[in-house]
Amino acid sequence: MNPLPLTEPVLLVLLSLAEQPRHGYSILKDVEHVSAGRVRLSTGTLYGALRRLLDEAWIERAEEDERPRDRRAYRLTSRGRRNLQIEVQRLKHLTKLAALRIARKEA
Amino acid sequence: MTLLYRFLLYLYPPSHRREYAEEMIAVFRDAQADVRRGGFRERISFRTRETVGLLTGGLQEHLRIFSGRSPMNSFTRCDMRPEFRFPKSTVLLMSVIFGGVIVAMREASAVQAKYGSASDSMWHTFPGFAGWTFAFALVTVAIVWVILFALGRTGVHRLANIQPGLKQK
Repeated sequence: MNPLPLTEPVLLVLLSLAEQPRHGYSILKDVEHVSAGRVRLSTGTLYGALRRLLDEAWIERAEEDERPRDRRAYRLTSRGRRNLQIEVQRLKHLTKLAALRIARKEA
Repeated sequence: MTLLYRFLLYLYPPSHRREYAEEMIAVFRDAQADVRRGGFRERISFRTRETVGLLTGGLQEHLRIFSGRSPMNSFTRCDMRPEFRFPKSTVLLMSVIFGGVIVAMREASAVQAKYGSASDSMWHTFPGFAGWTFAFALVTVAIVWVILFALGRTGVHRLANIQPGLKQK
């Protein structure tokens, strides 16, 4: 199964976890920050995405810290990081192609 | 709002609730505390976003369990399997979800009545509209359920499982 391309919420959650492990609220705030306030995830959307990513082993729970159960942190697995890189490459290719076509049209 | 949030969490399957409910409530409380510092519009936007998020999230989790699949982009794939059965619990789930929407909208109406002028509000007509919509939805669901029940009794839906060339005794 090829799960790419990713939906925007999933991509932003992965980008948020690419830097460091985060718990739910931290992911919400980081997604809002990264998207310059454009994307505000609801907790339902966030935990739907986290559940799917856990099922696919793209992320895992960061068990080593002693946080309470309601403050559990998540981090990217090597599989998740690899798939994120593939998705970013795909987007890079797309934007490059788009820029070329727009420039050609303007010329 | 936290009470409504806890209520709407019951739309999720029990397994999801056991695993994530505590976390979701904690994150919701943090986000709510943030929003309290904002304006009226921000608070309404937050409440609407959370309500819609829980309604769609709950429905998606149930659909995932019924279909037995966990695709990354479940929004774009919706192929039916031959052994598909219409689950009776879906009728109950749809009714509960619709009830949740009405409760959420009534709460929004109460907030609007409290903080803003409601003279030109569309909410006056909402109960009648909601009643008719709910009745229409129930009738539609009942008709669909009866059709699927009848198909189940006749065994027509199992035709897809018959192998070509297989001789019946």
